[in-house]
Amino acid sequence: MTTLEIPNIGTFDVELWEEGAGTPLLYLHGYERHPGGAGFLKRLATDHRVLAPEQPGYGNSTGFEHFTDVQDVALFYRELVESWGLGSVDVVGHSLGGMFAAELAAIAPQLVRRLVLVNAYGLWLDDEPTLDPFGPADQVKAAKWHAGPPDVEPTNFVPDPDDPHAPILFSARNLGSATKFMWPIADRGLRRRLPLIDAPTLVVHGTSDGLLPVSYAEEFVRLIPDARLHRIEAAGHYPMVEQEDEFVSAVSAFLAG
Amino acid sequence: MKFHWFAQQYYSKLPPEYGDTVESSWVTPPAAYADPRQVGEDYHTYIRLMQQADGLGWDSLLLNEHHQTSLAMTPSPNLIASILAATTENAAIALCGNSLALYNPPIRVAEEIAMLDALSGGRIIAGIVFGTPMDSAFSYGVPPVELRERFHEARDLITRAWKATEPFAFNGKYTQLRYVNPWPRPVQDEIPVWIPGSGSVETWDVVNALDYCYGYLSFSGRQSAEPIVKGFWEHTEATGGNMNPNRMAFTQVICCADTDEEAERQYSEAVKYFYRQNPTAIWQATPPGYTSQASIRENLTRAKTISAEERLKAQRGELSFWEYDELGYIIAGTPERVEQRVRALCTDLRIGQLITCMHVGNLPEDVAAKNNHLVGTQVIPKLRDVWADEEDRWTPKVSQERVAAKFGAPAPV
Repeated sequence: MTTLEIPNIGTFDVELWEEGAGTPLLYLHGYERHPGGAGFLKRLATDHRVLAPEQPGYGNSTGFEHFTDVQDVALFYRELVESWGLGSVDVVGHSLGGMFAAELAAIAPQLVRRLVLVNAYGLWLDDEPTLDPFGPADQVKAAKWHAGPPDVEPTNFVPDPDDPHAPILFSARNLGSATKFMWPIADRGLRRRLPLIDAPTLVVHGTSDGLLPVSYAEEFVRLIPDARLHRIEAAGHYPMVEQEDEFVSAVSAFLAG
Repeated sequence: MKFHWFAQQYYSKLPPEYGDTVESSWVTPPAAYADPRQVGEDYHTYIRLMQQADGLGWDSLLLNEHHQTSLAMTPSPNLIASILAATTENAAIALCGNSLALYNPPIRVAEEIAMLDALSGGRIIAGIVFGTPMDSAFSYGVPPVELRERFHEARDLITRAWKATEPFAFNGKYTQLRYVNPWPRPVQDEIPVWIPGSGSVETWDVVNALDYCYGYLSFSGRQSAEPIVKGFWEHTEATGGNMNPNRMAFTQVICCADTDEEAERQYSEAVKYFYRQNPTAIWQATPPGYTSQASIRENLTRAKTISAEERLKAQRGELSFWEYDELGYIIAGTPERVEQRVRALCTDLRIGQLITCMHVGNLPEDVAAKNNHLVGTQVIPKLRDVWADEEDRWTPKVSQERVAAKFGAPAPV
């Protein structure tokens, strides 16, 4: 747990998964949950110092009530990265975390060395409306995965033997916080700010994502000045899980470049 | 005790297979099921029944607000209320909504309720609601996690606007207005405020802090509701709140006839239609962020007084008429039987404001009119002694006085 005090705003107690040494890498997790020490993060940590905070409002991380809108989230991450005193960092953002990563890169370009957006939310295309991520649970679950859900989805949830309701409360809290930025449509105006991003950007997209069609990734690439697309076949919303090898090598190569 | 006339303004001509085939009767049901001309006929039926109730001694005529559903075609209760304000004399008009978080700027709600209070000569009860998830989160797109904060900010603005004698500035998180000065202001110095809820502890605390009337408006009957209503009173007592029974409004379906057999014959099909034609998709009823962590935990641990099997059968229209009655979904039978059961319900659960649901589903208008007549002439007068010595600041003075003068209800305490 790390504590960040922003004067006149408030206190944020944030769970932080941290591993490895080398160039610092900020990882921002997706709308469902923090992945915990998932395989892809451990592998990225072999040549990076990976810092993966849990978003305020998720799990045990506090301070969600200090956010009025997505700009506050971007400023929170600016303060968090500056508090580390590490200078600029590489930023990898997945799903809703991709929206936050792009906002951070636009508002604090001096802090973002290279940017990776993975099946990122933040845009809306009238011609290709997306599935409601808060729709019927079985439909959403089927849409997320190319080859069906794995036995265990990566998570930082720790079961509490004394609290049978903990899994329900964990999920309700996480997704409830996501509604602030994704309900009813996950578009908080990012389109207007993507052209301000300076960092070289890799847009990674699992092409079987039933939540976000690949056209959304193409739109990110079109709007960010220095961006290119890496499609990952046979993967849905979680390419880092379904195609871990390809994901890690593509991201590592881009960050090393 | 007080009686509030109510009907879910159902679409009355749904085909038999509707309840089994639509994914949900909320948010996404195909609009083609409803013929707008028939909807118009249905509105006229409900208005006639409410006008009749005004002449039979009901204390208020109550309207609710729902969106995108065949269950209640009343997206704007204020529109029907304006007709009643102009065409009725005695009863109050209880609005339950308006759903405050849905209107931007919410000063519109302050204006419309003040208009209605002026038009009705001070007979308005302002029920203000969060709205079901289907209404507020899905049909109106409010992020569930922001709903309560938006509601309370709007409530603060509206209640201040009603009483302010001069224009004021309002710098809220969701609403900013430089000049708040609605015309007209309400007739009543204190418009009675009700907040219906579904058992959230946070709502109980707000209602108690402001001394409002709480409402538990379900159609699932006494057995399901008892833990929540009793929970409210236990919480209120424990936290030093006002225990006046007139602070509790409760909905009850009433099916009254000359004999018990006649009640079954006349109402059975409509009761089953009412429960069966309202499938609600689970994902629409439980969006994340709508319910606080504390209330989720409360719901998960609250004692269940009705089995899941019984609940499912009730929702599928598979209970017998008298099983619905036994579980409290409905109170049916002769005026004597209805009187006894209502007395027991309202005494046991400390209910001072009974919302009598007098029309259900596709009930023929003449049966509902007979229901009104029997209850208005043979049930309500006999129940006026219940909680009669308790002060009632939660219904308008004007309607209390007029109903008392005309129908012999107890004078205002």
